[in-house]
Amino acid sequence: MSIYSPKNFKIKKIIEETPNIKTFTLEPLNGEKFVFQTGQFIELTVYGVGEAPFTPSSSPYKTETIDVTIMRVGRMTEVLHSMKEGDIVGIRGPYGKGYPVDKFVGKEVLIIGGGVGLAPLRSLLLTLIERINDFKKIILCYGARTPQDIVYKYLFPEWKKINGLEILRSVDKCQPGEWDETVGVVTCLLDKIQVDVKNCVAVVCGPPIMMKFTTLKLVDMKFKPQQIYLSMERNMSCGLGKCGHCQIGSYFICKDGPVFSWEQLKDIPEPFE
Amino acid sequence: MKRLISYTDFVNILYELVREEQKLIYFPCRDGHLSNSLINKNLENFTLLNIRTIEPIKLLFFPAKDNLSINSELQQQILVGIKWCDVQAIKVLDKMFLSDYVDEMYKTYREKTLIITADCIQPQQICFCGIVGGKPYVEQKDGISDLNISFVDENNLILESYTSAGEEFLEKYFQNFEQPTKTEEVQRNSNREVANRKIYIFNNEFLKEENEKYYKTLKHSYELDKIWKIESEKCVQCGGCNFICPSCYCFLIREASKSYNEQYRDRVWDVCHFTGYGRVAGGANPRKYKYQRFRNRYQCKFVYRYENFSFYACTGCGRCIEVCPAKIDIRKVIRNLVLAKGEEVLVKK
Repeated sequence: MSIYSPKNFKIKKIIEETPNIKTFTLEPLNGEKFVFQTGQFIELTVYGVGEAPFTPSSSPYKTETIDVTIMRVGRMTEVLHSMKEGDIVGIRGPYGKGYPVDKFVGKEVLIIGGGVGLAPLRSLLLTLIERINDFKKIILCYGARTPQDIVYKYLFPEWKKINGLEILRSVDKCQPGEWDETVGVVTCLLDKIQVDVKNCVAVVCGPPIMMKFTTLKLVDMKFKPQQIYLSMERNMSCGLGKCGHCQIGSYFICKDGPVFSWEQLKDIPEPFE
Repeated sequence: MKRLISYTDFVNILYELVREEQKLIYFPCRDGHLSNSLINKNLENFTLLNIRTIEPIKLLFFPAKDNLSINSELQQQILVGIKWCDVQAIKVLDKMFLSDYVDEMYKTYREKTLIITADCIQPQQICFCGIVGGKPYVEQKDGISDLNISFVDENNLILESYTSAGEEFLEKYFQNFEQPTKTEEVQRNSNREVANRKIYIFNNEFLKEENEKYYKTLKHSYELDKIWKIESEKCVQCGGCNFICPSCYCFLIREASKSYNEQYRDRVWDVCHFTGYGRVAGGANPRKYKYQRFRNRYQCKFVYRYENFSFYACTGCGRCIEVCPAKIDIRKVIRNLVLAKGEEVLVKK
């Protein structure tokens, strides 16, 4: 066993979120609890195939199992998507620094997610909901490509009932009559919300292009760089700040992130792509 | 503790260590390669007079392919004759592998190795430690070295222990030798100065690092994309400079388990010049173009690691200059950038 060896987890449950996104509920084989902070990530191994970083989408208050929402997009996730309940995968972690939730106390929290980027934000949202009175209000702006691409469809009705949580959703495109909420990219939701920019933090996660334009928009709205938090995802390979793959400037996303403030990243070449 | 010893006696004692005590010794050969006492029992062609070996010393602590398990049978080994540039490289690797999370494999290799450094008395044209803040000899304050060898002349050496392990070694095997005299030490110091001057002479067309010049130039040099594109034009992305670099530490973990109860994975050296290095599933790539990856390597050495450790991760060993099939010279690239940056600043004013 080295720091690079995974522990075995059993796939307890699989939920099909969209045609190419599944949520896997994983349970430690050794019966230990899995403790993490929201926003930290794990390295998930499909034995014999590969290993890749993912951020749990479940609440850190739940330690018997963790949920990981994964899009089928490459060699390893292709195999993972074909796996069944009861199959064994490997997990290392948790790694990195998560969301600084305590710094959000007394503030408005604006959460902006795109596509499968809602996964880590769901973990954050569940954390915030546990102590919702600590925050002035929470706004979730979520954008997906089409109504079919929305993840956690079954959770939104519950979330909409929560006092102090405002939810806005958009899709890039849809068939006529299929969608009665906003049509357009996620940044257009930001025109519809009321926030006290001085007392607000924004948390962004999504595909690189969405992160880029959302950050620019937030800066436009007069958010200070230190008020914007980004969940950076690169090909963190070792997870321990050694192998070099996820370097971004003098930072290692795996060790110093994956959550960064825009203040930390704004002067680095090519922070997104 | 210091001891004066002739070159021949020193080599004979090493030879005894191999023959009588079966010690494993890694040492530089006359042909420039790193050899060891397993494949070369008689220490034939042993030399301390060359510059650093062709092979980067990192391969002793961080092999090109490593199965990520601790070699518990690893015996004590002695590494003889490494120069300042490699000492500095080990400093970089120590920072990477031993801080925060400890890499046990690297740690084991490091702990099992006694490091005997040597002064570099015949620097070559490709050496440039002097212009990246270094010098062709190792002092105690540089760390890493347990014991250092310096030269009174080509036949007489001064052994000086820098750590308790080094002192122990010196006491055990060299107790019958005299201390060097003041005159001999003065002679040694003047040899060091001569070597130092040589480095400056060889590099007089390049710019010496002072007042964080390289750092400041490269920090925001992505404003100079035009220059980076020109400088990287010749690069064929073979990865030679990364592999041969004594301080490049990037690696790739390869998962190859047969099943969950028969786990196997290894790691191999990786190269930031390769297109796939930063690419993620789905195809997004933070450094899609060659000039971005080329620039990244320089910024890694002179900006990012400098911000992390307050010293450059380039040690001036010149291996990348020797290995490059496109004859790219890191010193020229930096000079061109510093000059271009200067012009840029002038234009802006």
